[in-house]
Amino acid sequence: MLLIKLWNYLSGYVIIKIVGEYGERLLNQAAMKNLYLWDVKRVNDNELTAKINVKDFFKLARLAKKTRSRIYVLQRVGLFFTISKLKKRKAFLFGALLFVVAIYLMSSFIWNIEIKCPDDDLSTSVIEDLRKWGLREGTFKYGLDKQYYLNKLLTKYKNISWAEIEIRGSKLIVELVKKQLPPELEESTPCDIIASKDGIIEEIVNFRGEALVEPGQTVSKGDTLITGKVVLDQDQDQDQVLLVHAQGIVKARVWYQRAVKVPLVKTKMIPTGNSKKSLVLQLGKHVLNFQFGDIAYNHYDKKTLNEFSILPRLSGGIQFNIVEYAEMKPTKEFLDIEEASREAEAELLLQLKGILKEKKVTQKKMEYMLDSDQTSVIGSMIIEVIEDIGQKREIKYGEEKI
Amino acid sequence: MSEGIRQKISDALDLPQDVILDVPKVILTGRIAAFIENHKGIIQYNSELVKINTSIGVVCIKGAGLLIKTIIADEITVEGKITAIELEE
Repeated sequence: MLLIKLWNYLSGYVIIKIVGEYGERLLNQAAMKNLYLWDVKRVNDNELTAKINVKDFFKLARLAKKTRSRIYVLQRVGLFFTISKLKKRKAFLFGALLFVVAIYLMSSFIWNIEIKCPDDDLSTSVIEDLRKWGLREGTFKYGLDKQYYLNKLLTKYKNISWAEIEIRGSKLIVELVKKQLPPELEESTPCDIIASKDGIIEEIVNFRGEALVEPGQTVSKGDTLITGKVVLDQDQDQDQVLLVHAQGIVKARVWYQRAVKVPLVKTKMIPTGNSKKSLVLQLGKHVLNFQFGDIAYNHYDKKTLNEFSILPRLSGGIQFNIVEYAEMKPTKEFLDIEEASREAEAELLLQLKGILKEKKVTQKKMEYMLDSDQTSVIGSMIIEVIEDIGQKREIKYGEEKI
Repeated sequence: MSEGIRQKISDALDLPQDVILDVPKVILTGRIAAFIENHKGIIQYNSELVKINTSIGVVCIKGAGLLIKTIIADEITVEGKITAIELEE
């Protein structure tokens, strides 16, 4: 019934008044001719009101003459009539359109900038800088280069570890997380120098403080290398201890180890040449797929062939994409041990690239072995570098007496 | 075909009687709506009484504020406060 009502509303119907003694006869005639009448109501002895479809109305008018009754249209209802009425009210339509456009335009600007950060000083400073760089209230929100501002922020403020810019409606939210910097020890604060890594001491140069280790000695992480407690006078029973800010360079041999596993059997995807195309409708961030038939491929590769922009990105970004699905076939590839080893080495070098570049490498060792079930090669690389392992640690009060 | 034979066929084949016998079928929904299938036209209509012609005689629907909700070639729906349905010979 709802469907019929909806159809009647869309196609338009009229409320009519039937005047005449033989109203019933007209109803019967209409029913015989398959004219659809509904909500027939008796007003008085020779008047009826009813609703009828626009198309059927004209047929009914012809029948009315035969049954000697008259038909008057009381009201026109439906989308058809609403549209034709609106056509006469051009100014109203224009106003309504203007309203929609105005709402859209007004919501395309940023009207409010909010900084989410517990530190108020930082927030004020960031908001001022953003204004200076051109991100202020009234900025057009589409096509805003968030990354540009983020980069600028992160380069200027070293104490921000993470930042994000989010646009929610007409509000711009900048979220900041402050970096917890390790407390920089002042020159006057007494401290030790301890080992940050395990290693063998190669060279030790102390500027201030007393060295506790010597070259060739093995140290493990956390060991004190140069102490800030300097004993002044050893002759007396009570040692006179002076606390200083220890300084020095402690170079040590340190090892880094990495291992990778390279399987001897690899599955590779090879295109079979079969492909299917599909249409994708993209409305802003929403994606609608129009598929012609199923993609019956078990494995496939998706590729966008063409993009047709209907509306530019600034005003909603409606576009059609043609996407091609290319069928792929998994094929097995067998590697021999030598090839696998070479691959493992390349992978290891890539992993250790950062260390190899920065530090002085004294030794490099590679080892290969077969996995226990003989399906893969395990390659491991150990590199020995010389680096400064010294790290400052403050001497806390109370600790000094020990 | 006489009525008797039709009745027998309907019984034997278990077919709906209203189809075989060409008789009206009246469905009443509480007191608020009556649905008449297989009618032969409206004889009289006002807000207290609707007389509908059928193959077995006139079906009278009595009540208050009666409204013909829909009318097509073989179906009529009457809505309102229905108080009685009578079958006249």
